[in-house]
Amino acid sequence: MAVQAKNVSMWYGAKRAVDNVTMDIPAKAVTAIIGPSGCGKSTFIRALNRMHELVPHTRVEGTVLLNGENLYSSDVDPAIVRRRVGMVFQKSNPFPTMSIGENVIVGLRLNGVRDRKFLNEHLEKSLRMAALWDEVKDDLHKSGTSLSGGQQQRLCIARALAVEPEVILMDEPCSALDPIATAKIEELIQDLKKHYTIVIVTHNMQQAGRVSDFTAFLYMGRLIEFGATTKIFTNPGQKQTEDYITGRFG
Amino acid sequence: MVIPKHILGTFDEALGALRNDLLMMAGLAERSLDRAINGLLQRDDDLCANAIADDEEIDQLEKQIDKDGFEILVRYQPVASDLRRVISAMKLSPNIERVADQATNIAKRARKLNRHPPLPEVQLIVPIQAHALSMFKDSIDAFVREDVELARAVVSRDQQLDDMNRSANRQLTERMVQDRDQLRGYLNLILISRCLERVGDHATNIAEDAVYAAAAEDIRHQTLTAVV
Repeated sequence: MAVQAKNVSMWYGAKRAVDNVTMDIPAKAVTAIIGPSGCGKSTFIRALNRMHELVPHTRVEGTVLLNGENLYSSDVDPAIVRRRVGMVFQKSNPFPTMSIGENVIVGLRLNGVRDRKFLNEHLEKSLRMAALWDEVKDDLHKSGTSLSGGQQQRLCIARALAVEPEVILMDEPCSALDPIATAKIEELIQDLKKHYTIVIVTHNMQQAGRVSDFTAFLYMGRLIEFGATTKIFTNPGQKQTEDYITGRFG
Repeated sequence: MVIPKHILGTFDEALGALRNDLLMMAGLAERSLDRAINGLLQRDDDLCANAIADDEEIDQLEKQIDKDGFEILVRYQPVASDLRRVISAMKLSPNIERVADQATNIAKRARKLNRHPPLPEVQLIVPIQAHALSMFKDSIDAFVREDVELARAVVSRDQQLDDMNRSANRQLTERMVQDRDQLRGYLNLILISRCLERVGDHATNIAEDAVYAAAAEDIRHQTLTAVV
């Protein structure tokens, strides 16, 4: 298991958003997290790289192990955690003042890398892995925001890959994209899972069915069911899962 | 069991239409089989003609069910029990269509038999027909009511139908040796018995799909002990 969440609960102030979730996330596979709005999906994955700590009045209980190592140990630097567990957001967010090339290597620069050759190698490698190199190799100096929505999202994936994470968290990465750009990201996810552990939050159940190996269903902060995606989408074990995925929930 | 409605009402309507077409098709196939056998027992060519005429409407319904099913898959991307119901309905309809084909075959052979003096051995067909028809009705009921136990029971009854068919074949073959003048008549009865045995096979297929639709369990190609 790449990531093991054990009895994770999270609060925004007094409001409990995640309720005692225990989940083993397999390595080099895609795990989709589905559930209705407000069920705690995005909040939960933020606990996997301590991103929630950037939001005031949040609190976490429980443990998260990354390859056996407790991410919440007092001696662990949250910045290092976020390098090892990268994140791609719903809306693509390239740094607007930076070029395409600078956007990709900014994480390495922030980590103190100055070697030009090393940076150039990682720039090309990351863009190739994000299936964007052929489209932007002649425009690396142009602004990241000059790209289309789908390209910007792949640029953000390249930026996450550049620091060589172990896990990539994706929070609704295709919700602002058209079907073709979505298909490219989904294809990319299939390539990336050969090397990375991927956790994707999605509202689109067909997308969960297409891209993931495992699916977790969250409802009101609780993990209702976790299992192989084929099983969840053909014969879920819990009635709540069945009612949700068949569109009967409510 | 009351299944809660989908949030999307048109999805429920589409599933309802698929189910209604399937029920209508099964009803027509049952009527056709009934008419064919009564055409044989009552020596009534009109009933035989009606049984044969039913086949056209059943063929059209088979195509309609395929169309309904494809449309649901494309438009609503069903999952879980919805997906199993749609896939099973699409697998059921060819089996129902073949039951109707068997009814047509029986009706055609009955018309041939009606041209000759009556054979008392026609009574051998009565229990076979009753067994085959009850298997078919129960298989459809099991699918509609999602009754896994009834579906399993249908599968277990097929062996008895096979035995009844074999026994009738044996008796009719003996009669062929004794009464060579009625050779064609006995042969037609053997083939009618065979048609009814095939109806049992289709009912078994339908019952297996009913188990899959209701319980996501594939019981095909298992020993009877494992099924029951």
